[in-house]
Amino acid sequence: MIGWPLILLGGLLGSSHCLGMCGGFAITVGLGARSVQGNVLRQLVYSSGRIFTYAVLGASVGLAGMTVAHEINAWVNAQALLSILAGTILVIQGLRSGGIRFGKRLSGPSGFGCLAGGMLGTFLTAPGLEFAFLAGILTGLLPCGLVYGYLALAASAGSFIESIGIMVVFGLGTVPMMFLAGVGASALSVAARRKLLRVAAYCVVITGLLAIGRGIWFVQTGEDTHGLSCPACRATD
Amino acid sequence: MTNSPRSSRALVGDHDPIPHPHDEGQCDYCGLPLPRDWRRSRQVPNTDASAVQVQALTDYCCMGCRLAASITAARGESGAARWMLARLGLAIFFSMNVMAFTMTLWAEEWYGPVWETSGIGAAILADIFRYLCLIFATPVVLLLGPPLFENALEGLRQGRYSTDLLLASGVLAAFAISCYSVVVSEGPIYFEVTCAVLVAVTLGRWLEATGKLKAAESLNALERLLPTLVRKLQPLGGETEVAAESLVVGDRYRVAAGERFATDGVVHDSRGSVDQRLLTGESWPVSREPGDAVLAGTVNLDGDLKVEVTAPAGEGSFWQILDVIRRARATRGPTQRLVDSVSAWFLPTVTLVAILATAIHATFFGLDRGLLIGLSVLLIACPCALGLATPMAVWTALGVAANQSVLFRGCEALERLASIRVFRFDKTGTLTTSHPRVVELVCDPLTGPLEVISAACAMVSSSRHAFARAIHDFSREEGVESAPTPVQVIPGRGLRAEESPERPAVWLGSLRLFEEQGLKLGTAIREAVDRASAEGQAIVMIGWEGRARGLFAIEETLRQEAVGCLAELRTMNCDLAVLTGDSQSRGDQIARLLAIPVEAGLLPEQKLERVREARQKLGPIAMVGDGINDAPALVASDLGIAMGCGPDVTRDSAMVCLLSDDLRLIPWTLALARRTRRVIIENLFWAFGYNAVGVGLAAFGLLHPALAALCMVVSSVMVLTNSLRLKWFPAPPWVNLGASSAVATESPRVARPERSQLVQECSN
Repeated sequence: MIGWPLILLGGLLGSSHCLGMCGGFAITVGLGARSVQGNVLRQLVYSSGRIFTYAVLGASVGLAGMTVAHEINAWVNAQALLSILAGTILVIQGLRSGGIRFGKRLSGPSGFGCLAGGMLGTFLTAPGLEFAFLAGILTGLLPCGLVYGYLALAASAGSFIESIGIMVVFGLGTVPMMFLAGVGASALSVAARRKLLRVAAYCVVITGLLAIGRGIWFVQTGEDTHGLSCPACRATD
Repeated sequence: MTNSPRSSRALVGDHDPIPHPHDEGQCDYCGLPLPRDWRRSRQVPNTDASAVQVQALTDYCCMGCRLAASITAARGESGAARWMLARLGLAIFFSMNVMAFTMTLWAEEWYGPVWETSGIGAAILADIFRYLCLIFATPVVLLLGPPLFENALEGLRQGRYSTDLLLASGVLAAFAISCYSVVVSEGPIYFEVTCAVLVAVTLGRWLEATGKLKAAESLNALERLLPTLVRKLQPLGGETEVAAESLVVGDRYRVAAGERFATDGVVHDSRGSVDQRLLTGESWPVSREPGDAVLAGTVNLDGDLKVEVTAPAGEGSFWQILDVIRRARATRGPTQRLVDSVSAWFLPTVTLVAILATAIHATFFGLDRGLLIGLSVLLIACPCALGLATPMAVWTALGVAANQSVLFRGCEALERLASIRVFRFDKTGTLTTSHPRVVELVCDPLTGPLEVISAACAMVSSSRHAFARAIHDFSREEGVESAPTPVQVIPGRGLRAEESPERPAVWLGSLRLFEEQGLKLGTAIREAVDRASAEGQAIVMIGWEGRARGLFAIEETLRQEAVGCLAELRTMNCDLAVLTGDSQSRGDQIARLLAIPVEAGLLPEQKLERVREARQKLGPIAMVGDGINDAPALVASDLGIAMGCGPDVTRDSAMVCLLSDDLRLIPWTLALARRTRRVIIENLFWAFGYNAVGVGLAAFGLLHPALAALCMVVSSVMVLTNSLRLKWFPAPPWVNLGASSAVATESPRVARPERSQLVQECSN
C-alpha cells in the first residue's frame, strides 16, 4: 500500500512550505535551550506536542467522518465525497506552494492566532520542557491549509483508528523539516529550500490527485469504503 | 510615571454632563468602562476587609481581564506569569486527552466487536477509558474551575444574576454525575462537557480581555510616552532625579535633547526646537525661547531646556486629551443603548428557554439528556458577542482616530458622523488658514499709526478670533506692546472697550459695526475699504470719538488641501456649502475658487438658522469650524467639528476635535466612521444571528454541549477580530509622506509688505 508512505512524504516535504511560519516557532523553541542536546530534546518534545494535537484532531474528524458515513451513506457516498474534498484541498494547497495562487489571499491578522499570540510566545520561550510541549500543542491548533487537507483525508478514511494514524504519520513526516529548522536554521541553503519546496508542492498535488481518484472510483463502483483500502493503492499492490 | 487613570479626573466639573470614567468605573486591566451593573458594588462603603475585597474585585470588567491582569501582574516574576498561562495550556492538554478518550468511547459502536475479541473485554476496556477520562478531567476542574467559581460566587454575593453562575452550576453538575457514573460503572459520563466548558469559558474570556486591551492600547501607549523620572533643579544648584508626579507648580526641571516634557511648563532658560506633533498635529518643530510655553508629551528636539512647571502631572493639556478619549469611551452611543435594552432581556429569555428545553427533554428522554440540552442552550447563547459587538468596534475606532489627532467627545459622535450627508463649513480658520495676516494698515490723517496699533493691541489681547490674533501678531512685529483692556464682545461684529479716564470708548470690528454705531469714515479709510473689498481682503477697523481711526486689511490664505477635501467629500455623496460672516465679494471669490455654494454676510444667529434649514431639508448635518467664533452653529448642528484645537480640547461646542489644522482629516474621519458603522452592523448581525440559530439548535437537542462551548469562543473571537480589523484602517496617505502639515501650506499667496513699508504707508 502506498498510502502511508505517501502521507509521510507529504508531511515531510509538504512541511517545507510551512517553514516560513512554523520554522520561526521551531527556532524560537530552540532559543530556550542551553546546549545542542537540550535543543534537540526541546525540538522533539515540541514536535510531539504538535503530533499529539494532530492525533486528537484526527480522532475528531475520524469519528465525525464515520458518523456522517454511517448516517447518510444510504443515499450519499460520504467517504467518496470527503475523499474528493480532501484531494481538492490538497491539490490547491500543493499548487499554491508551487506558486500558483487561487483567489485573493486574505490579509490582516488571523483572529485566534493574533489574540492568543501572547500565550504561544510565552510557551515558546519559557525554559521548561513542559512549555515546549504546550507550545507544540498550540502550534498544532494554528490554522494551516496543509493540516486541513490531511484532516479532510483523515475524515475520508472511514476509520477512527486510521484517521488518528493518518494524522500521526503526517505529523511524523513534518518532524525532520521542523527539526532542521530549529536545530540548524542554516542547514539548508535558500536554493535547496526552493527546490525542496517545488518537490513538496508536487508531492502534495499527487496525494491530492490520488485522493480525488479514489473518491471518483468509490462513486463509480459504490464499494464499501470503510477502511483505507484505496483502489489506487490496491491497483499497485 | 505611573499614570493612573485617577490622575486625570481634575478636569471634570460637577455639572459636566458626560460622566467621568471613574465615576462610571473602568477596568484596571484593559482600561475600558465597567459594565453598568457592576457600578453598584463600587458604592459599597469599604470600611471592612471584605468590602475592600469587593472593591478590588470589581475593578476588572470581566473574568478574562482578572485572569489576564493576574498574568500581567506576575510578569515581574516571570515564573509566576508562566505558571498562570501554563494552567490554561495544561488544561487544554488534559482536555484534549479527555476528548480523545471520550471519542474512543463513542466509537465503541463500531469497535465493540474488536474490543470483545481483544482479550480484555469490551466492558473492562470501556471502564478503563472512563477512568482515564476522570483522571484527565479532574486536573482541568482544579486548574480552571476556581476563577469561574469565584466569579460566580462574587456575582451571587452582589445579587447579580450572571451566566457565570449558570455555567459553574452546569460544570459542577456534569462533573458530579460523571464521577458517579464512573464509580458505579454505569450511566452517562460528561467529562468532555466539563472540560470543554471550562477551557472555552476561560480561553474565551482571556481572548476577550486580550482583544479589549488591544482596542484600548493606543491610549495606554500614549500614557506610556511620558517620562517617569525627571531631573529636578535644586534652588541652591545641582539636580536630583525625582518622580515626575512629585513635581509641583513652580518647580524647575531639566529636559535634555530627545526627551519628552513630563509636565506643562514655561521655558526658563536656553532655547530649542520642540516637536509638538503629538498634541497639535504640527509636523514642523516650533522654536521655544525663555517665557514660551511647552506641553507635556511633546519632545525637546535639540536644546537643553530648563522648564518651570505650570501644571503638575495629571493636570496639563496632555491629560485633557487622555481625559477626552476616556470620557468618550465611557459614553454609550444610540446603538449600544439599544443593544443594552435587548441584552437586559437576553439572559432571562435564554434561561427560560434552557429551563423549558431541560424540562421537555427530561420528560421524554431522561433527566441527564434534559440537563445536557439545557447546558447546551446556556453555552451557545453568547451574551459576550452581543455585548462586545458595538463597544469593541467603537473603542478601536476611537483609538485609530486618536492616533491621527482626531478626538471624539463620545461614542455617539462617531455613530452620528457615519450618518452625516451634509457639511457646512465656516470660512475663517477653516477653509482658510487659521493664521491670517495683516497686509495693510491705513490710518486716518488725524491719528498716528502707533496710536492705532497700540489701541488695537490692547483690545485684541484677550480675544481668540483669528483676526484678533493677526492684529496681535502684527503689533508684536511692529514692536508695539500695550496692556490688555477689558472688552465687550459684540457677536458677529467686533469688540468694544468701555470708556475710561485714560481713553474714550473704542470700537474695533467690521464695517457693519461702524455703520451701525455711526462712526464716520475719512477719505483715506473709505478708499482703503473699497480697495480691500475689491481685492477680497477682510477689513478690521478701529475708531473712537465718532471717527474711524485706522483700518487693518487682513488677508486670509486658502488652505491648499481645501479643494481636495471638498472633492473627496463630494465623492462620498455629501452636500457642501460655506457659511461665512464675511463680505459678499469675499464670499463670491471663495465660491469661485472652491466651486462651492457660499452664503456670505451671515451673523452668528443667521448661520444658526441656515444650519437648521439645511437639516430640515437635507438631513443630518455637520458644521465644521474653529469652535470659537462659530460655536453656536457647531452646537446647533448634529455634529460640530472643530479644526485646529491643538491641545485646547475643551471646546465643548464641538463633538469632534481635530487637533491638527488639516482639512483632509475630515473625509478620512468620515470614512472611518462609516467603516466603523459597517463593522458594528456586521457584528450585531453575526451576534444576533448566531444566538438565534444556536439557541434554536441547542433547544432541539441538535448541539452537543462541548461543541456549543467551542462555538461560544468562536462567536466572541469573530466579533473581536472583526472589530480589531479597524486597527488596520489605512492611515491618511499623506501621513507617511513626511512633512506636509498645515504649517507647510501656509506660504503666503501674496508677499507680505515689509514692516517699514507698512508704517510708511500709514504715515503718508
